[in-house]
Amino acid sequence: MALQPPSPQSSVPRTDVANVVDAMLLDSRVKWVGIVYEATVGGVDRFTVTPYIVDPTIV
Amino acid sequence: MISRVQFLLLAVGMLCGCATQKMSGDQLARVAKDWSLSIRASQVIPVYPLTEDLQPGDVFLVQTPVEDQVKVYLAKGFLPLENLVTRLSPAGYARFYRGWPHVADGDKAPPRPWQFPKDESPDSDFSRAPLAAFPTYNFSVSRSGGLNVAIPVQSVPVGLNLLDSASANGTITLKDAFTYALPARTMFDAIHQWCRDNADYLSQYEPAESTTDGKHAANKFYLRVINRVYLVKTVDVSLFSNRGFGVGGSAGVPQPVQLLNIANATEAAKQFAAVNDILSDATSPAPRDAGAPAGAGAPQPPAVGGTVKLAMATSRSVSLVETFRRPLVIGYLASDYAIGANGKCAAPVPTLSLLEGHSPAAGKTIEYLGCDENCARIRPWIKQGTNQQKLETWLEKKGGEIAIADFLTGDYAGLRQLMVVELIEAIQ
Repeated sequence: MALQPPSPQSSVPRTDVANVVDAMLLDSRVKWVGIVYEATVGGVDRFTVTPYIVDPTIV
Repeated sequence: MISRVQFLLLAVGMLCGCATQKMSGDQLARVAKDWSLSIRASQVIPVYPLTEDLQPGDVFLVQTPVEDQVKVYLAKGFLPLENLVTRLSPAGYARFYRGWPHVADGDKAPPRPWQFPKDESPDSDFSRAPLAAFPTYNFSVSRSGGLNVAIPVQSVPVGLNLLDSASANGTITLKDAFTYALPARTMFDAIHQWCRDNADYLSQYEPAESTTDGKHAANKFYLRVINRVYLVKTVDVSLFSNRGFGVGGSAGVPQPVQLLNIANATEAAKQFAAVNDILSDATSPAPRDAGAPAGAGAPQPPAVGGTVKLAMATSRSVSLVETFRRPLVIGYLASDYAIGANGKCAAPVPTLSLLEGHSPAAGKTIEYLGCDENCARIRPWIKQGTNQQKLETWLEKKGGEIAIADFLTGDYAGLRQLMVVELIEAIQ
C-alpha cells in the first residue's frame, strides 16, 4: 500500500524550501510543486510549498 | 368468531413491529449498513437513523482519526453524528436562492418556511423547496435470516407480514425528495469566524500524538460542517414473494388471504379498507374506541412510525406507501476542517472525498515546523541505498501511511524519534 501523497506546507523558510521540495519529490506521483511567497517575518521570507499530482494549470 | 381475514390482520399488526424488535444487534447493524450503502450509491453521505433535525450549518466535532473514520465508514456504511458543537446560521440563503419564492435569511431561513408554513399547524409544505430525485433501489428480504436489506421505514416488515412470506424481493422508491444548501464559500467564512471567536474552546482539540501498541499516530480533530441536506417525505415499497409462505397454516390459517381478488371486487375493497384501518391504528397516537369495528377487543398493535398505507396487493406481491409527517433528512454533504494549533481551523476537505479515499492533496495544508535534530539525521540517511524504501515500509506500518515530506517537517517529532531509534540507531 502506498503512502499518502505529501501535503502542502505553509511557513517554509527560504533556506529550507529546496529540502522540502526535495522531500515532496520523493513521492513519484508528485509531478508539480507550487511555491508561493507568504510574507517576510523577522527578516525571513516564508513560502507555501504545494505538491500536485494532477497538472494544476488545467482547470 | 374471528374471521380468517381478521385473524391475519391481527397477526400483521402484531408482527409488523416484532420483525424489527426481535432482530439481534448484528441484524440491526446490518440494517444500518445496507440502507446506508444504498444512499451512498447516490454520492450522498447517509444519515442513520433518519432525522428531521439536521440542516446546513450544523457543526460536529469529529474525534476519530481520518484513517479510522474510513474504516468506520466502510464497516458501518455511515458515520455516527455525535458531538454537535454548534448550529451556524449564516446569512446567504436569500442571495443563493435569488428569485426563489419565500426564501429568506434569519428566522425565515430554510427549512422553517417549508417545515412550518402555518404557525398553528405542525404539517409541512415543501412544495416550493428545491426538488431532488433518487433512483429506485432493489433489495431482497428474508425473515429467517434477518432483513438482508432493511431500511429505517416500516413498510418492509409490514409488507413481509402482509405477504405472509418468509422471503421476498422488492424495490424501494424515495419519492417527494428535496434538497437545499448553502455554498461552501459562505460556510467557509462562517466557520472560520466561529473558529476565531471560539479559539479557546477549540484549543483543547489541538493535534496530539498518541501511542497505541507501539504505533505512533497523530490524533487530529475535525469540525464537520454540513452544507447540503437531502430530505424525503414519501417512501414506496413493493415486495414480491419469491418462495413458500412463512407462517401461513400454522395458526389456523390454511392459506394466505388474497387481498385483491378481482373476481370479488366488493370483498377486495373491504379487505383493503380493513388492512389500512389496522395500519392506521398502528400509527395513531390515540387508541381506538372499544366500540370501533376494526381491531375491536384486540391487543393494541405496535406503533410503526410513519403513516403506512396499502397501495396494491395480490397473493404474491404487495405495495405500500409510507409517508412521514414532515420530510426527514436521509443524507448530507459536508466539509471537514482540521483543528490546528491554538484552535485555528485549517482549509476544508470535502468529507465524501475523504471517506471515499480520494486524495486530499493540495487541499489540506500542514504547518512547517522546522527540521529538528532527528529530521537532520534522517534527510541524508534517506539518500543512501534502499533506505527510502525502508522508511516507506516503516511508515506504512507505524506512521499511519503519512508522506515522507510530512513526516520530516510536520508535527511528528515523536514519530521521528521512534524512527531514528528503530531504523538508524538499531543498525549502527
